[in-house]
Amino acid sequence: MHSVKRLCLAHFWVAFAFFAAACAIGTWQMWVRSPLGASVGTPGQYYMLVTAHGVALAFVLTTFFIMGFGYFVATTALDRQLPGKAWAWGAYWLAVVGVVVAFAPIMNGQASVLYTFYPPLTGSAWFYIGLVLLVVASWIWAVLMMVAMTAWKRENPGRPVPLAMFATVANAVMWLWTTVGVAVQLLFQVIPAALGLVHTIDVGLSRTLFSWTLHAIVYFWLIPAYIAFYTMVPRAAGGRLYSDTMGRLTFILFLVYSLPVGLHHLLMDPEHGNATKFIQVVLTAFVSVPTLLTIFTITASLEIAGRLRGGRGPFGWIATLPWDRPMVLATGLSFVMLGFGGFGGLINMGYGMNAMVHNTSWVTAHFHLIFGGSVVIMYFAICYEIWPRLTGREHPTLSLLRLQLWSWFVGMMVMTLPWHWLGLQGQWRRVANFNYADPIIAGWGPWVIVSLIGGIILLASALLFLRNLAVLHRGAVLAVARPLYAIAVHPPQRVPAVLNSFGLWNVLVLVLMLVAYGLPIAQFLIEPSPSAIVHRMR
Amino acid sequence: MTEIHQELHERRILGTELLWAFGVGVLIAAILSMIVFTALSIGVNPPSNVERLDPKALHLSGEFAEDNLGTSVGSDGRVVVRVIATQFAFLPRCIPVPVGRPVTLRFVAPDVLHGLLISGTNVNTMVVPGYVAQVHTEFTRTGDLLMPCHEYCGLGHSEMWATVQVLPENQFQPDSNGRVSCAQR
Amino acid sequence: MSDSHETPSIDRRLLDQPWRFWSTVAVAGTLLGGIILGALIIPVVQGRSAGLDAYTAICRALGILPGSPAQPQPSDRVQRTPVSQVVWTSELLHILARADPARGRTKALESCAACHGETGIAVAPDVPHLAGQSGPAIYKQLSDYRTGSRAHDLMAGIARALDETALADIAAYYAGRPMRNPNPATLAPAPAEIITLVELGDPRRGIPPCASCHRAGSGGPIETPVLAEQRDEYFIQQINLYASGQRRNDLYARMRTIAAQLTPSEIAGLAAYYRAGFR
Repeated sequence: MHSVKRLCLAHFWVAFAFFAAACAIGTWQMWVRSPLGASVGTPGQYYMLVTAHGVALAFVLTTFFIMGFGYFVATTALDRQLPGKAWAWGAYWLAVVGVVVAFAPIMNGQASVLYTFYPPLTGSAWFYIGLVLLVVASWIWAVLMMVAMTAWKRENPGRPVPLAMFATVANAVMWLWTTVGVAVQLLFQVIPAALGLVHTIDVGLSRTLFSWTLHAIVYFWLIPAYIAFYTMVPRAAGGRLYSDTMGRLTFILFLVYSLPVGLHHLLMDPEHGNATKFIQVVLTAFVSVPTLLTIFTITASLEIAGRLRGGRGPFGWIATLPWDRPMVLATGLSFVMLGFGGFGGLINMGYGMNAMVHNTSWVTAHFHLIFGGSVVIMYFAICYEIWPRLTGREHPTLSLLRLQLWSWFVGMMVMTLPWHWLGLQGQWRRVANFNYADPIIAGWGPWVIVSLIGGIILLASALLFLRNLAVLHRGAVLAVARPLYAIAVHPPQRVPAVLNSFGLWNVLVLVLMLVAYGLPIAQFLIEPSPSAIVHRMR
Repeated sequence: MTEIHQELHERRILGTELLWAFGVGVLIAAILSMIVFTALSIGVNPPSNVERLDPKALHLSGEFAEDNLGTSVGSDGRVVVRVIATQFAFLPRCIPVPVGRPVTLRFVAPDVLHGLLISGTNVNTMVVPGYVAQVHTEFTRTGDLLMPCHEYCGLGHSEMWATVQVLPENQFQPDSNGRVSCAQR
Repeated sequence: MSDSHETPSIDRRLLDQPWRFWSTVAVAGTLLGGIILGALIIPVVQGRSAGLDAYTAICRALGILPGSPAQPQPSDRVQRTPVSQVVWTSELLHILARADPARGRTKALESCAACHGETGIAVAPDVPHLAGQSGPAIYKQLSDYRTGSRAHDLMAGIARALDETALADIAAYYAGRPMRNPNPATLAPAPAEIITLVELGDPRRGIPPCASCHRAGSGGPIETPVLAEQRDEYFIQQINLYASGQRRNDLYARMRTIAAQLTPSEIAGLAAYYRAGFR
């Protein structure tokens, strides 16, 4: 492990402390907006906690988890010391400071602008400054990942970078591209406005810059789950990875296609023409490719495992898979949620159908199912897999782990399926309290209560997850020396340089971004939007 | 396995992946064709308009001055609805529209981001300060519809909604200035 | 290992070539297809059925001209009477941000203090307190008096005698006067229905919470006045003027639509609530 254990655990525990708090907050929100809690809480409290929920999950949980996981992969997959470990600790503390600086105004009600910002509403400048510090810390992490891979390649000329590390660096490179949009938005527009240096803001440009970040950031969160699919699941199931090349291609496609598609978050906006939206819808269609390739490759890998364990017939192999192992169980549940969520995503993609569901509970359901469901359940599985390696202790029992994964799955389905339905009925988003006296809205009440039950199950599951990890910090230490990473059916001896580095792909990203975002951004430089008055919330 | 066997097997694996990728390609092509087909045949477009208008001076703009808001029927018979979305109400709060006739809805925001949908229809747009959001539609059923603000616009967001009254042709009566008001119920 | 040492560069370039070629072709093809369909074929076909020439339709699709390529664009250029002439331009907001309270004090002592008090605490019941009032709110009302958007014989005369900078300075002066900050709980009871109205509003009537705009720092419209500690006589009078439509300088009827729906007992309750110093 080359002594990054403390570094990884420090990251993970920050991530999961905020995760558990955010689950509790989320459950409270659902209670407040249900018919049961109609007169509970003020809008001020509601939006303060919506902001806290979003920031804790979308920024804190993800960034800390991904950084910690990256350090783990860089030392285990490459089997060498982490270069620049002091930098890694520096980045950790910078991120912690950033989170504290951002959360102080949030919990003081001075930044109730939600985690997606919404200028010309602005909160306290400290909120944004804290988030910038968090992003800067993640940039240090990204550079460390690239340095680690480069150092390994120098020591191992001509050899393919292990897939887990290749994917981690793909994520780091993508993250550097991704954060450009939000960094420009915050540094040049939002923070000056929040500080009172400027009093008006170009909202069209601001939304466009944020959209640059808004889609790719989801892939940043998602890639650790895919790393688990490709490099851990086949081994956990007792089989081999079907194709290493497909793994590399998948992560490259994520890098290339997750960036020039952010405009699909603005399909219902007036400030962009049809043509630029259409081009990005075409590119958006290609974002589904890596996911669909993954489903095939991982299913094939699982089939190998099932057949090795004696499975027969076209579907017999499914029954013989070791479903009692958390990693395998989580993968199965994740795929089911990915199926539902992916279908929802295809609906969002076309602007005709998007008009039906934009800014309704359908969208809330979609990203809770995709991220909170299929991705976070893999975060759980990863933790269950690597925690024994970090603490040197084995899980006393797997049944509580399985209970936790199942309850997360059930809770997520019970919560999000009614939301999909309500979204189709036109239930709109970001509402602190509904007027259940209205006959249309009254009919939604029972479904809102069902989803609240799902939320309560999720909260219980989150707490059980913390417990399952916490018990591994007590008791006698045993060395754990099981192999973690899967071997491919045909382990790569030599791969083309383009599948072992990112030069070509960065050029293609640049070209795609120039074409996809060139006109959408240039139009504001040629003729700025008439500026809007900054509305300060503090 | 000999080396040649291995290579053949690896190629076969790659072959199955390519076959699957072809299927993925067909799926994507089908979805995109649907979007292109509806665009070409019935003119389905996102609510793009790219019409700049100073949000700070809407009340001086003429078109969005207070006494020009609401539903009006032009001399050419076109129904145009002009609505202000502001913290935390729509003006006007009740919008009459005729059933079965093309209607153009025009929205502006003077302050912050807003958005709206009309329940049970495909009317859905963001209202971004600085731009006129415009939706062309046709209402197919009479009755009262809910038009809530669906984008976070501040602490009063939850109370921001309006009513759309879809009226049968005989109740949709413009006055001498071509203006229509909601039926009192 | 040995052969890879001898021919690594040639070997890898050969391996690379198809990847480079096909990935570039794929990306370029996607982009080209998207551009041809989205910027050319779709708008031209749509424009033809809407009676637009190809150039206009393409410009609309690209966002260079306003409107949809599939629909004619409505027009309306009638001049109407605005309810207020104030425009919160960036320049005006800068003037307000840089206003000088010391200059404002001199002007206020000349023109305002007789009724509104030197410290912003007025004596007569129908004159509002100004201490701690928001600067943009004071500026907006003075400006509306000046242009006649808000009717008041005396105030119109005073406001017309002052220039824009003077208005901003006076606003800054009174905005900087301390409020009295009484302990509201000792001054008035706060009935549950009034607290509900202030904190939650009434979704059934579409009334947003008073606090969502009038509580300082709520992020509401910039000209929103602070209501805490305002005198109840003035509060009730103004709400009634809004409700009846006699006062109409609230942009986009933000207050008129709300005031018209409040009951007399709610108005009285809110007046007492704010008079007592609740926020």
